[in-house]
Amino acid sequence: MRDNYKGYLFILPAFLMLVLILGFPAVAAVLQSFNLMWVSKPAFTVGAYQALAQDPEFLRSLLNTVLFVTVVVSSHLAIGLGVALLLNMDIRFKWLWRVVAILPWTMPDVIGGLVWRFMFDTLPGIVNSLLLRTGLSTEPIDWLGRPDLAFAAVMLAESWRGYPYAMLILLAGLQAIPRQQYEAAELDGCSAFQKFLYVTMPNLKHMFIIALVLDTIWESRLFGMVYSMTGGGPGYSTQILTLLSYKQYFQFFNISYGAAMAVVLATVLFFISLPYLRMSMRQRI
Amino acid sequence: MSDKFIKGLSRAAAAVSFGCVLAAGVAPAAAADVTITYSDWQLAQDIWGKSLKEAFAEFEKQNPGIKVATEPVALAQRDVKFTTAIRAGAGPDVFALDMNPVKQYIAEGWVKDLTPFIEKEGGKKFLDDFYARSTGPLTEAGKTYGVPKNIVAMVLVYNEAMFKEAGIQKVPETWDDFRAAMKTLTKSTKAGGPVDQWGWTIVAAKAGFDLRFSVILRGFGGDFLTPDGKKSALDSPAAKEAFKYVVDMIQNDKTMPPGVAQVDANGARRMLANKQIAVKIGTTWSLPEVSGMNPALDGWKVLKMAHIPQKTVDGSSVRSTLYQKSLFMNPNTKNPEAAWKLIKFMTEAKQMQRWFDDNNMLSARKSVNETYKPIAESPFAVTVAKEIDRAAFLPLTPKWPEILETFRVNLQDAIAKSKSPEEALANAHNQVNAILARP
Repeated sequence: MRDNYKGYLFILPAFLMLVLILGFPAVAAVLQSFNLMWVSKPAFTVGAYQALAQDPEFLRSLLNTVLFVTVVVSSHLAIGLGVALLLNMDIRFKWLWRVVAILPWTMPDVIGGLVWRFMFDTLPGIVNSLLLRTGLSTEPIDWLGRPDLAFAAVMLAESWRGYPYAMLILLAGLQAIPRQQYEAAELDGCSAFQKFLYVTMPNLKHMFIIALVLDTIWESRLFGMVYSMTGGGPGYSTQILTLLSYKQYFQFFNISYGAAMAVVLATVLFFISLPYLRMSMRQRI
Repeated sequence: MSDKFIKGLSRAAAAVSFGCVLAAGVAPAAAADVTITYSDWQLAQDIWGKSLKEAFAEFEKQNPGIKVATEPVALAQRDVKFTTAIRAGAGPDVFALDMNPVKQYIAEGWVKDLTPFIEKEGGKKFLDDFYARSTGPLTEAGKTYGVPKNIVAMVLVYNEAMFKEAGIQKVPETWDDFRAAMKTLTKSTKAGGPVDQWGWTIVAAKAGFDLRFSVILRGFGGDFLTPDGKKSALDSPAAKEAFKYVVDMIQNDKTMPPGVAQVDANGARRMLANKQIAVKIGTTWSLPEVSGMNPALDGWKVLKMAHIPQKTVDGSSVRSTLYQKSLFMNPNTKNPEAAWKLIKFMTEAKQMQRWFDDNNMLSARKSVNETYKPIAESPFAVTVAKEIDRAAFLPLTPKWPEILETFRVNLQDAIAKSKSPEEALANAHNQVNAILARP
């Protein structure tokens, strides 16, 4: 029993560090959202939350976030699965392809955003340059200046940058599937597609859920890529919740309002993460 | 190695150490015992950064007990970094701000009251040499929170060679003439090729938007807010005309390069440097910056400056916007006296001359602008200095950053054809009024 206490003492510094780094900002955000911290006249109010419900900019950003996360996470799972299947095959220089496949994920999102921004630039951008040279377009396309195209461009860029995360999870899942299951399927005369459908997919179910939940959380709190690529524009067309919260908090100094947005987003993400937490708990038991 | 040798070495080391301790006790305190941190977005720029660092070296020479540590910050991140640090009890001792967020910094207590320091320097006498319009906005309820460093007004910066080549002999003074001139300048430089030269561009991205669009609004006789600053003035006929004028030139005339929604101040400079456009809205700083981007342009020779066009030649009295950079002290500073010395040094007449010599920036001190020969002899400085009298600051309200962004986003909506110009401006007007109505 005494040894157990010693164990707790050993992890105490790390625990305190976590409380400081993770806990303090979370508590601070909640207090700020109720106008209780870092404001000139602290007084408890739920005004920021009431205002959120009536703010069309907030609702538009929420909708943008849902659309963005749905499209980007779906594309991550689709591209991630495809690349994971390829990398799980017996191919030459497998290690090299794995390094190449993971490269987008190693790029900081702000840098990734800037690279894509330059690529989509109207005048010197490589995308327009190619289109003009090949005759596919007769004049430069304003990729980041048209709301529909700008949102599509941002989603494309983030689909590229973030897919290796899902790919790694799914590749780990693929490698854990017992070889015997495929051999048994082959003996039963299954085609490659049937093996994929009846052996691979059921075995990947848990990994899919993990990738889906973690990637949804990751993409919902994405900031740098969109900020550096479009800054939320043109207009409000690519403004997602994290950008709006940042704008309110740091640019307009509406501290309570910006913090309330962050708290709402964190609460939604907590509920999204519940299936993953339940799964993790079950595995521990 | 013998014990004797080791003992001898130990004794020698002990003697040297003792000597050092004695020397430290007897000698005067070490010279550099205070370090002041200075943060400024222009530290990251080649020309400004060099000039500022040379000034700090001179300051350190004059003040042997004080060292200056520089903390460059990106303009877009400046307020995030400063306000977060100051609220957490940290941040740079001295920092620079333009006028946009000043009222917010004062209202939130993020800048130190400099009145006691100024009083020690002679109070009114110390401030007398600065333009009253420069010190006024830095004062709140009789307390002065900053010292102005540079002030300029926005003007047209144009490539005279491109004007001549297009057969335009006179710089347009009215918006109608300006529109016609921009159409003439927009063309293909290769026979039969696509358009690769445009008349001008506005800045519709965040960085630099405030100073550029505002002069068009003012040149038409409009403004963002009513004179008392309590209501939006975006429903005025002048504001409507200015807004539609810009959107029409983008969508119908196509006298600006495509992708204008993404063009920031640097983007516009680059286009002027590469002769993709012939005109941009800028000021004295445009010369070194544009010339630096493309030395082959020979910017100091081909670029010229003129006042902002107006609706009629004798139009509104205010037709331009003032830009001012001022220095502030962090309320958390542990070394207020040393920080004040740095602020005083950076804003003294001699340094103001340096800012003009190195960066072509006019001074917030009247005496420097009026008596310093290189300023009097510079046609650029003369044009800009004249405009200072016909320019005004952007609205000085703590809500200004939010008002400006609201307006900019609606303009982008109109440019992107998500809304008609009338709808976008009406939307901006209502949103600005809602912001102003909030407590």
